[in-house]
Amino acid sequence: MSDVFLVGLSHRTAPIAVRERVAFSGETLAEGLADLRARPGVEESLVLSTCNRVEVLILATSAEPARRFLLSRSADAAGYLYERAGREAARHFFRVAASLDSMLVGEQQIAGQVKEAYRLAAAAATAGPHLSRLCARAFVAAKRVRTETEIGRGTTSVSQVAVELVAKIFGNLSGRSVLLVGAGKMGASSAKALASLGADHVLVANRSRDRAKWVARRARGHVRDFSELPQLLTEADVIIVATSAPHFVVTAEMVEATLKPRRYRSMCLIDLSVPRNVDPRCAQFENVFAYDMDDLQRVVRATWHARAEEATRAEAIVEAEVMAFLAERNERAALPVLSALRQRAEAIARLEAQKTLSLMGEHIDEKGRMSVEAMARAIVNKLLHAPTARLKAAAASGDTALPGAAAVLFGIDEAEPARASEPEDASAPKVAMPEQR
Amino acid sequence: MSVEVLRTATVLYAASAVSYIFFFVRPHRVRAVRMGFALVAGAFLVHAVAISLACRESGGTQFFALRGGLGMLAFVGAGLFLVLEWLYPLPAVGAFVLPLVVIAALPGLFGLGSSQTGVLPSVVRLPALKVHVSTAIGGVALFAIAFGVAAMYLLQEREVKGKHFGVLFSRLPSLESLDRLNQSLVRTGFAVWSVALVTGAMVAKNAWGSFWMWDPQQVTALLVWLLYGAMVELCHMGMHGRRYALLTLAGFALLMTSMIALGTVPNVTRHGGNFQ
Repeated sequence: MSDVFLVGLSHRTAPIAVRERVAFSGETLAEGLADLRARPGVEESLVLSTCNRVEVLILATSAEPARRFLLSRSADAAGYLYERAGREAARHFFRVAASLDSMLVGEQQIAGQVKEAYRLAAAAATAGPHLSRLCARAFVAAKRVRTETEIGRGTTSVSQVAVELVAKIFGNLSGRSVLLVGAGKMGASSAKALASLGADHVLVANRSRDRAKWVARRARGHVRDFSELPQLLTEADVIIVATSAPHFVVTAEMVEATLKPRRYRSMCLIDLSVPRNVDPRCAQFENVFAYDMDDLQRVVRATWHARAEEATRAEAIVEAEVMAFLAERNERAALPVLSALRQRAEAIARLEAQKTLSLMGEHIDEKGRMSVEAMARAIVNKLLHAPTARLKAAAASGDTALPGAAAVLFGIDEAEPARASEPEDASAPKVAMPEQR
Repeated sequence: MSVEVLRTATVLYAASAVSYIFFFVRPHRVRAVRMGFALVAGAFLVHAVAISLACRESGGTQFFALRGGLGMLAFVGAGLFLVLEWLYPLPAVGAFVLPLVVIAALPGLFGLGSSQTGVLPSVVRLPALKVHVSTAIGGVALFAIAFGVAAMYLLQEREVKGKHFGVLFSRLPSLESLDRLNQSLVRTGFAVWSVALVTGAMVAKNAWGSFWMWDPQQVTALLVWLLYGAMVELCHMGMHGRRYALLTLAGFALLMTSMIALGTVPNVTRHGGNFQ
C-alpha cells in the first residue's frame, strides 16, 4: 500500500561538508527527479534542495527508494538521514514550508524554494495528484503562518545574521568596502543590508556581467570583472561569496597572498554557498574571519531571543493544516466506495424505471415518463443520503471500518470503484487509511 | 579621617563595578549603566575629598609610597574612565576596568605594601616633581585601562574567530572599536609617559646632580617607554588586532612587575624604593 515518505538531511542533522555533497544544483535536479522516477516502487516524487536541506518526498510503498537515492549522491550521508512516513512526513513538510524548521525560523525564502521544488517536480511530471494536494496544503499552511503569526516579523534573514556578525568585527562599515562574489538573490540582499551599515563601496563580481549589473543596481554598487578577484580581495573588507560553483572560488592561497598588500587589515569572508565556495582554511590567518552557513546558524542560536509564543501559535496552525489535509485525504479515500455505491444504485434505479416505462408502453406521456425517472432518482438520493453522510464523517475521522463494512455489505468489488471514480487515485488506498500503519 | 572617606570611595567604586558587571551579564538593563556611571562619578568626588584630607593631614607625602601611589592610580583611573565613557560610550569596558580600580584602591584601606615616607628633600620640591608624579600616575592609569580593553579584545576575538558565539559574543563591543580604543589609549599613555620620563630626568638632575644615573627606576621607566613607543610605531606600520592586544598585556605586565618590585624591594633604587 502506497504512502508518503520523506527522507532527507538538514542543517539540524548534517554538517555543511555532508550537505554540499548531497545538494543538487538547478540542472542536476531534473536528472535526479528522472532517476528517482525510474526507481521501482516510486509513484510520485519531489526533491527539495536548498543550502540547508536536501529532502526527498515520495509516494511509494517504503522509504527505501528515497534513502538509496540520497545515498547514491554520497555514501557519507548515511548517518545523517532522517525518515518520516505518512502523517509525520506531511507534518515535517508543512513545518519546512512554513519556515519552522529553518535555520532562521520565520525567514521567507523557504516558501519560494518549496514552490520551486514543486514546480520542477510538476514540470518533470513526477509530482502526481497526491503530492500536488500535499504541496497545495503546505502552501496554505505556510501562508497562514506568515499572515497569522508574527514569527517572520523583524527577523531573521541570512543577510541580517551576516550584518550582525560583521557588526561584531567592524562595528560600522564607514570607510570600508563590501565585495559580493556571485549575483544570487541571497548574496544581493546581504550586500544591500551591509551597505546599510555604512559601507563606502559595494563591489559586485560575477561571471555574468549582465546579472552583476542588475545586482549592483539593487545594492547601489559597482560592477567589477570576475577575473580581478585576487585584486578585489585585497581591496575589500567584507567579502560575501554566494555562487553556485561546485568548488572553492576563494582559496586559502588567494587570501594568503592578499595579507601583506592589505597590511593585515581585518577581512571578513562570508560564504553563503552550498557547496562551499570559500576554503575553510582561510580562517587560519590572523585577522581573517571566515564563516559558512553552519557558522551563521550558530550565531542565530546565540542571538535567538525566544519568539517561543509565536512559534507555538505557528506550530498549532501547522498541526491544524496537517489534520485538515489528512481528513481531506481520508474523505477522498472513502469516495470510491461511495461513488461505486451511488453508481450501482443509480444504475438499478435507471434499469427499474426503464422496465416500468416499457411495461406501460403508450399509456404514459412524456411528462409521466419524466416523473417516473425523477421518482427513481429521488428514492436513490433519499436512501443514500444518510449512508453518504456517515461514510464521509467516518472517513474524515480516520475510521477505516465503516467504509470497509459498506463495501462488503453492498458487495462492491474493490477494483470497481477505482475504475469508476477517480482514475488518478488508483494508488490511493481504498479502505484502510495509510497513516494507520 | 581620610581613611574613612577613602573607605566610602572604595565602597562606591565597588558598587559601580558591580553595576557595570550586572549590565554586562544582563545587557538589556540599561539603567545599571546610568547607575554605575553615577556611582563612579560619586566615588571619584569622594576620593578627591579623601586625597585633599590626606594632603592636609600629612602633606600628601604618602602618595609617593606604593600604597598611596596605587590609591592615586585608582583615582586617576576612575577619572580617565569617566572621560572615556563620555567620549566612547562602551559601557562593557566598565565591567573590566572598574574592578582594576577597586583593586588599586584596596591597599590604601588595608595597609598593604609600603607606606613609609620620609620628608622629601627640599631640593626635589620642584614644579617638575608634581608634573612628574601626576603624569606617571596618569600614564600607568591609561596603560591599565588599555590592559582591560586589550583583555576584552582577546576575549571577543576568541569568540568571533573561534565561532563560539557565546555569552561574551553578544555582550562585548565590536573588535574594531576595542582595537581602536586600545590604540588611542596606548598612544595617549605613551605621550603622557614621555612627559613623566622627561620631568623625572629633571627631578633626577636636581636630586642627584645628573639627568641619567642608570638607576633601576629610570631603566625600567625607559624600557616601558620604549615598549609602548614601539607599539605606537608598529600601529603606524599597520599592526593591530590580536598581536597588538597581546603586546598591550605584556607592556602592562612589565610595568606592574617593575612598579611592585621597585616599590617593595628596599633600596633597589637610588631614592630608597619609595618613590621619594
